[in-house]
Amino acid sequence: MNEQISPLWTHLTTEGRMTGTWRSALPNYQNQPSPCLGACPVNGRIAEWIKQVKDGDLQGAWVTLVDNNPFPAIAGRICHHPCETACNRQDLDETVGICSLERFVGDAALAEGWQFPSASIERDQSVAVIGGGPAGLSAAYQLRRHGFAVSLYETRDELGGLMRFGIPSYRLEPAVLDGEVDRIVALGIDLHLGAEVTDNAALTALRGSHDAVFLATGASLPKRLPALDYSRPWVIDSAEFLAAPADEQSDQAGAHILVIGGGSAAMDVARSARRHGREVTVLTLEPEGQLPAQQVEVEEAIEEGVKFVCGAMLQSAETDGTGVKLQCVHVDFETGKNPGEFSVTPLEGSGFELLVDTIIPAVGQDADIDRWSGMFDQQGSVIGTGTDWQTSAPGLFAGGDVASMSRFVTQAVGMGKEAAQAIAASLAPDIALPGADDPAQVPYERINTTYQDKHNRTRQRSRDVKERLAGFDQVQQPLSADKAHSEASRCFSCGTCIYCDNCYYYCPDMAITRLDGGYSVNADYCKGCGLCVAECPTGSIHMQEEKAP
Amino acid sequence: MEKIDYRDEGRFCSGHVACAGCAEAISMRVILNAVGEDTVGVIVPSCTAVILGGYPMSSTKTSFIHGTLESAGAFASGVKRALRAQGRDDTTVLCLAGDGGTYDIGLQSLSSAAERNEDILYICFDNEGYMNTGGQKSSSTPHKAATGSTPLGKPTRKKNMIEILAAHRIPYIATTSPSHLSDMAAKVKKAKSIRGTKVIFVLIPCLPGWGVAENAAVKTARLGVEAGVFPLIEVEGGVKYSLTVDQKTRRIDDYLGEQKRYNHLSDEDRRELQEEVDDTWARLLARAEAGE
Ligand SMILES: Cc1cc2nc3c(=O)[nH]c(=O)nc-3n(C[C@H](O)[C@H](O)[C@H](O)COP(=O)(O)OP(=O)(O)OC[C@H]3O[C@@H](n4cnc5c(N)ncnc54)[C@H](O)[C@@H]3O)c2cc1C
Ligand SMILES: Cc1ncc(C[n+]2csc(CCOP(=O)(O)OP(=O)(O)O)c2C)c(N)n1
Ligand code: SF4
Ligand code: SF4
Ligand code: SF4
Ligand SMILES: [Mg+2]
Repeated sequence: MNEQISPLWTHLTTEGRMTGTWRSALPNYQNQPSPCLGACPVNGRIAEWIKQVKDGDLQGAWVTLVDNNPFPAIAGRICHHPCETACNRQDLDETVGICSLERFVGDAALAEGWQFPSASIERDQSVAVIGGGPAGLSAAYQLRRHGFAVSLYETRDELGGLMRFGIPSYRLEPAVLDGEVDRIVALGIDLHLGAEVTDNAALTALRGSHDAVFLATGASLPKRLPALDYSRPWVIDSAEFLAAPADEQSDQAGAHILVIGGGSAAMDVARSARRHGREVTVLTLEPEGQLPAQQVEVEEAIEEGVKFVCGAMLQSAETDGTGVKLQCVHVDFETGKNPGEFSVTPLEGSGFELLVDTIIPAVGQDADIDRWSGMFDQQGSVIGTGTDWQTSAPGLFAGGDVASMSRFVTQAVGMGKEAAQAIAASLAPDIALPGADDPAQVPYERINTTYQDKHNRTRQRSRDVKERLAGFDQVQQPLSADKAHSEASRCFSCGTCIYCDNCYYYCPDMAITRLDGGYSVNADYCKGCGLCVAECPTGSIHMQEEKAP
Repeated sequence: MEKIDYRDEGRFCSGHVACAGCAEAISMRVILNAVGEDTVGVIVPSCTAVILGGYPMSSTKTSFIHGTLESAGAFASGVKRALRAQGRDDTTVLCLAGDGGTYDIGLQSLSSAAERNEDILYICFDNEGYMNTGGQKSSSTPHKAATGSTPLGKPTRKKNMIEILAAHRIPYIATTSPSHLSDMAAKVKKAKSIRGTKVIFVLIPCLPGWGVAENAAVKTARLGVEAGVFPLIEVEGGVKYSLTVDQKTRRIDDYLGEQKRYNHLSDEDRRELQEEVDDTWARLLARAEAGE
């Protein structure tokens, strides 16, 4: 006969012992912003959409992308990508090629014809948007998604602003621009093309007939160099030059062209002129290596045979029978506190001459705000606004180049988005302003690189120089699907849980439970060791001190 | 990244008393679950016994017998024979012991069991010292490491138990680390499928014993593997050596730097230890390349 179980045998599991009492800190799952998100002008959720690319979900990635920016194929070509400058991966080897991945996703969407879903509700209120560049289009897009009626007024016969009439097609193909612009228009926008809003009276009328107005007219007035007589036939305005069709560009320019300026516009003029077979010299105030244009633009210009004279200034220009003779001098260049501010000191005895046929100055554009004189306050040379992009005139918002010196396409897109959010929240009580992102971004130290892919960056290939100079075809070649996937796998997913289960398996106390779409910590058992945090590849958990009750 | 490849089936329970952050608990979790339900365990005095037991509680749902420190091999042999007498030949006999119980006090009984090629799966949690008794040296303590009984650093090198066991020509010997959980689970499963004596050594950085931070046991073990201090290997039949991680990618300094037990080392000491690692690694490589 069996006797009672021997009292020598254990008859309980340790689960009755609450080891959680040992602890002074508890892990907390918190998806925190990545540094790239913090740096992105549209606050794109980069870690999230790159993870979707990694998982092969391109459409999901696109949906995530266009939440903040309706132009991924465009941004993927011409964004100045401050996200990459902030990327944590550079502390290991090289930054993630975020921009080329964005292009990959944007191109897939165009190829597949993915469209935006129409607004889930239609609202009675309407907003007038003035200017069909990136700022205006971004605002129109966000307002339509919220169901507001949008009327868009644009001077030109086509939409796109400088994306169409500034940036040349070898950097941004018109078909890509059309594709991403048309998709916004398809949301149902009351379009007024060839409809310049001329003056305060017209603006006031629009304010009266709409619930709010967003002004995004860009910066259209070329800055002038005092040393140059703009009435001379051998001086061409860069904006006009770039806006002209290729054959007109070719007709205008002489054999040897001097481009003045070191920004994107100057590079675009120089490189376009090279494509027309012209000899091109670029004169910049900034010393070599400090040009405001993107590094890749300068490199490609050099490859294409553009010559640079850096750290020098034009003093005078005169014709001398054979051409235009320029007197120049080398300078000491110092940047100022704010974007666009600088000072120069000519270096004595460093004068030199240049002989060219045509001069195309491209030294920046000013916003045309005199047109609206008296309507609202100014802030330096742009329209003054609050952080919500509202001007001093209630209901009148402004963004993009007309209201900021941060002159980039994605900056304009970001301003358009933020203004639209502020307008939406001011018009509809059911729409809340999005909360500010957590300012604490995941630093490199929180990434456990043991678990991260080790391979080096994959770059886009550039078209061969000879082929480039033969026309205006896109220079940067897209990543193949394989390469895109391998580049995406380099992303650390900073602050974004990838459900790898490391925290679950490395917990010595079985205190982590897998949930549908996440994890929870069992405070009864967690001893607060921090191993889950240490072995998390993405920095998605951190320890939080607990105070004794 | 590859996911960790094993399933937790609940054979190891929360509420055990391992130090916060202990890699031995992580490893026990993997091993108990990888071996599976049809198992009878033998365990001898050591941290692992403390973590598993504490009468009247147990942190595992697998049956275990607590034996004496000097007799793990003999206890396990007896249990296997009793199971065989009951017709339960397929039940795995899992034996858990520390390095003190394996390299020193229980060496004779393990050697006898190995000589008889008893059908047991023996795990040695190698924390390189007598740790649950306060951190004294064992013959597994590495050269120059400080312990409670060698405060100036141990003057002799770590005993090479792999070679001792290999000389017994048992079917399977392996090393694994809590930084390589998939490897651990795979080696346990492989060992379970083999008849005869199988011995697996698990590197366990002891938090108080080595002076390692609460959240750094896994990292320390990983550095040990990467520096080649604790190579991950398999030895089949006592002769066929193979390397599971076949590259030594760091200097020993990275590993030493995580641990207070090496705080007293001079640059000369470090150089000497590096030479020892390089020498051991070269011999291991030669063996692996000579493999049958
Ligand atoms: C040559 C060049 C190259 C550049 N390259 C890059 C680059 O590579 N990457 C980058 O990020 N940025 C680049 N930039 C800067 C970028 O293009 C601008 O910062 C951005 O386009 C500003 O957007 P926006 O919507 O504010 O203005 P715009 O793009 O200028 O659009 C304003 C629109 O408003 C319209 N408009 C103006 N006045 C009125 C009115 N009164 N009534 C109705 N419509 C009006 C205009 O016709 C225009 O379509 C470049 C700029 C130039 C000039
Ligand atoms: C014959 C014998 N001597 C001494 C002891 C006391 N004792 C219990 S556990 C232990 C240390 C065992 O060290 P190790 O096997 O390395 O296990 P660890 O505690 O380090 O996990 C000692 C000395 C004992 N139980 N039996
Ligand atoms: S690694 Fe990925 S998530 Fe982290 S900063 Fe770079 S792109 Fe962003
Ligand atoms: S690993 Fe487990 S015990 Fe340690 S802090 Fe994380 S949840 Fe708590
Ligand atoms: S360890 Fe893996 S599963 Fe856990 S929080 Fe980090 S990324 Fe998510
Ligand atoms: Mg020990």
